[in-house]
Amino acid sequence: MREIALQTNQLTKRYKNFTALDRADMTVYRGDIYGLVGRNGAGKTTMMKLVTGLTNVTEGSFSIFGKSGSAAEKEKKRIGCLIESPAFFGNLTAYQNLRYYCFQKGITDVKQIDEALKSVSLTDARNKKFKTFSLGMKQRLGIAFALLDNPDLVILDEPINGLDPIGISELRDTFRKLSQEKGITLIISSHILSELYAVANRFLFIESGKVLKEVTKQQLDLECSRCLVLKTDDNKKAATILEDKLDIRDYKVIDSCEIRVYDESAKPDLIAKEIVLNDLRLFGIHESGVSLEDYFKQLVGEVHS
Amino acid sequence: MINMFKAELYRLTKTKGFYLFWFLAAFIYTLTVVYHAPGGISFSAFLEFSDSLKMDIQQVALNTNYYLLLIIPTFCIICGEFSEHTVKNTITSAISKKKYYIMKSLFTMLYSLTAFITVNYLFYFVNRAVNGSKYSSAFGAFSKAMLGQLPLFTAIVSLFIFIAFTLKKGAALNAITMITPLAFSLLMMMLIEIEQTRKVAEKIMRYEISTMIGKLALDCSDSYRAKCYIICAAVTIVSLVGGYLIFEKHELE
Repeated sequence: MREIALQTNQLTKRYKNFTALDRADMTVYRGDIYGLVGRNGAGKTTMMKLVTGLTNVTEGSFSIFGKSGSAAEKEKKRIGCLIESPAFFGNLTAYQNLRYYCFQKGITDVKQIDEALKSVSLTDARNKKFKTFSLGMKQRLGIAFALLDNPDLVILDEPINGLDPIGISELRDTFRKLSQEKGITLIISSHILSELYAVANRFLFIESGKVLKEVTKQQLDLECSRCLVLKTDDNKKAATILEDKLDIRDYKVIDSCEIRVYDESAKPDLIAKEIVLNDLRLFGIHESGVSLEDYFKQLVGEVHS
Repeated sequence: MINMFKAELYRLTKTKGFYLFWFLAAFIYTLTVVYHAPGGISFSAFLEFSDSLKMDIQQVALNTNYYLLLIIPTFCIICGEFSEHTVKNTITSAISKKKYYIMKSLFTMLYSLTAFITVNYLFYFVNRAVNGSKYSSAFGAFSKAMLGQLPLFTAIVSLFIFIAFTLKKGAALNAITMITPLAFSLLMMMLIEIEQTRKVAEKIMRYEISTMIGKLALDCSDSYRAKCYIICAAVTIVSLVGGYLIFEKHELE
């Protein structure tokens, strides 16, 4: 069984009459690159603030590496974070800022500072003052701070904000490297689904403080890819017809009355004819398949409708 | 806690405020030592020095300078974190909000009081070396005068910590800490002029900051000293506990 890095249970945050996060459940396994997807103000940052202790929980609980309550406090040292915009001392250089946090965390090996700066391509700006940094550089220093001391869990809130396309691509490679080579668990939030899709292996969709769906990349691919949706009264028999009569093998039985056919050569009229000829009731057949953005819009639409 | 203190000291030495504090303190004492004249500010204290009182004790009685100078460490250590929003970095990855408050308050207090004692003793030894015993008193007498002010400066720094954690803005800290004593003195002056309020105002004025600083350094009565220390203890406790409660409730950005 996979180790759970972070788990929330009915996590809720209320500000007077406003509920920023409403009974959110989330499970992040060790080694995951977990994408937190939602529009601006959906509750992504609130979720991150709660689990990092920046704000107090109204209801519910969470555990970090299996520890909850005050024991979770000790596990904080295993977390690296970048919540909202990166914040550092303007009068200090990139190196001095990270050195300050090395002192705080008790990191004696200062080589880690240069390693963190190198991982975000900031080696050349090592001795530049933070106040002279561009937005992208600030963002990268924030990520370097999160990676300091090789944490087991890295939480990044909108890390690609302000980065140029090359910077985004480099960062993507860094995330993959951290996950594959060091086994670091990453939780990354973004409102740009396509960017998260490029790196994450699991996703949590969130809107208006409510968790909409938690899916793996495979499930997302399945739900977004183009297919024929077939609805009959007997899926078992329908599957046999697809295989034996039409030689279609690329399909998936979704539930008791729905089958999705991914075979691009499959003809809807032929499928419909065979189903009817074999005395099955055909409730419907239609093409499906949406882009990631449309998929997200559909999810959000379901909440608001 | 040691790691946090190391980090704070590292950052503090990179601020302009750190050097400003030591420069201003050294500048004031240099003038005193060179011109044989104690110098400093006083909000509304009327201190009379006897001819037998040595210059260094007179200087200690004018330690109201430190009321203004000690705003600088609080500004650099606490307000800097809020204005740069770096407080979240520490709380998300190193310590809890509660420990953060305790660490920051303790460090600000320790640094401020250590700096206060260090600068005073540096002045004492330099003055003694340069001007000799004509202008300097015995080490014990000087220590008694200066260390007797310590509870008061503890209360003052606690109050600064409270304001810094409550308002979070350096400009607000500076404005309130500088304007309040002046406004208070002005108000008291006005009340003293009025026949009906004179007695009450005079009583209150005995416990005005610069008056207490001066009197605690000079030979004040034991009952006055005890009352001052009770006030200081109350201000310290209320400020530190109040500051924590407000900070704990406040949502961090």
